Amino acid sequence: MSTASSMSACTPQPDLAQTIGRGCGANVCKCYQCKKCSNGCPVAAYADLHPSQIMRAIQLGQVDLALDEKFIWLCTGCQTCTTRCPQGIDVAAVMDELRIIARREDRIPDGAALANVLRLNADSIKRWGRLYEVELVTRSLLGNRKKMKSYVPVGRQMMAKRKIRLLPELGDRAAVKRMVSSSERIAEANPTPLERGRGRGGYSHE
Amino acid sequence: MSKLLAYYPGCSLHGSAEELESSFKATADALEIELKEIPQWSCCGNTAVHSANRLLALALPTHELAKVEQDMQLDAVAIPCAGCFNRFATSNVESQEPEKAGHISDVVGREYNGSVAVHNLVDVYHDDVGLEELKARVTRPFQGLKVACYYGCLLTRPPKATLAGDPEYPTHMEEVAEALGCNPIDWNCKTDCCGSGLALCETAMVIELVHRLLRDARACGAEAIVCACPLCQMNLDTTQREIAKAHPDWEPIPIIYLSQLVGRAIEVEESMLGLKKLIVDARAVMA
Ligand code: SF4
Ligand code: SF4
Repeated sequence: MSTASSMSACTPQPDLAQTIGRGCGANVCKCYQCKKCSNGCPVAAYADLHPSQIMRAIQLGQVDLALDEKFIWLCTGCQTCTTRCPQGIDVAAVMDELRIIARREDRIPDGAALANVLRLNADSIKRWGRLYEVELVTRSLLGNRKKMKSYVPVGRQMMAKRKIRLLPELGDRAAVKRMVSSSERIAEANPTPLERGRGRGGYSHE
Repeated sequence: MSKLLAYYPGCSLHGSAEELESSFKATADALEIELKEIPQWSCCGNTAVHSANRLLALALPTHELAKVEQDMQLDAVAIPCAGCFNRFATSNVESQEPEKAGHISDVVGREYNGSVAVHNLVDVYHDDVGLEELKARVTRPFQGLKVACYYGCLLTRPPKATLAGDPEYPTHMEEVAEALGCNPIDWNCKTDCCGSGLALCETAMVIELVHRLLRDARACGAEAIVCACPLCQMNLDTTQREIAKAHPDWEPIPIIYLSQLVGRAIEVEESMLGLKKLIVDARAVMA
């Protein structure tokens, strides 16, 4: 939780684009601000920033703008931006990379409810080897009366139509467990400079 | 011309989208496509994993693809869920990229050589069965039912993974619907996003996104929407009650799986279609 202050508000991180490129392979430097990504983005209208502005913020090393805005937690992963970008930038992968960094840096803004849903979703997969839908829905709504209320009409209809499987099914739990730990080990061994800056895992900033 | 395909149901088809599985299996059976379910399959990882752990997101589907390639010795897998299809298609391409292959096979624990083709629900009818064959099997054609074919995001984007010929204006689903005697209308939102998993946390936003595209389908003359994704189906179907509350003149529009449409036209047993599971009543348009 101390991270927000240690990354402190407006210190630009000039190599942010390179960091992101190392993580996901997309070259943000190629963005020439044509805004095709923003025009096609279904959720741009619901946030303060839209995809091309996020791309600009990354070029300028504005970690705070890129990470602390709600936008990356509204992105549905619809791939419209990636499909249309005339510069061939995988913009959706950049949004994923920002979410990965935000999670590791513990920088998830208030009101980013999707972050919690995605975490519970991944937990469920790790636990059972398959997604247990009932668990995901109930755990997502627990402790949030407003959300629960707004989901009630949907839940009722799902129940009436028996579209709910009460017990979990199991996948190959041993294989999933093994893949989770080996992928995490490899990710740990290849940290981003943003993480190094925090002296995580014994790395120190050059 | 019986054909053998590996089959990956995915979590939704064993949960909230049972009617997609039962209608898909019944139609495959009637159309002489033999489906072999991947033994002890695990989740594809969905959005939750690719926005948290990129390597795991590629490893989970690659693990299943390796089973199809080496244990089952099959060259194609049918994946009716558009979300799973997309994760498999992405992994199929990226697992063969030299800079990623090493890490992926380290995590998976075996090599995958990329020989398996990944087919979505539309591909199975359009390509594995084929339009001519499908047409020949239709015993109870629709009488020009006006349908809006809805692809959403993950059937066609990004084309690098999905191999869709025209990701912005695909037409294969329309061609299948036409073979069944439907009249697929032209509309503006066939590849727009329904809001996907955000229905759980940004419900109001998803209702707005869905309303916009349902309204367009109606305005363009559709009597029903046909889809090929459990998440799209759920979002389009479950939000209409809320839409009707805000817009009292809203006339609900049925959201039907492509497999149900095919099943009705080739007359598979009605109980297998699972029409009762749909929330907006589809019986009139499927009669
Ligand atoms: S579409 Fe590509 S080049 Fe255009 S603004 Fe978006 S990221 Fe930049
Ligand atoms: S993938 Fe995310 S950022 Fe890109 S267009 Fe879709 S919602 Fe917007």
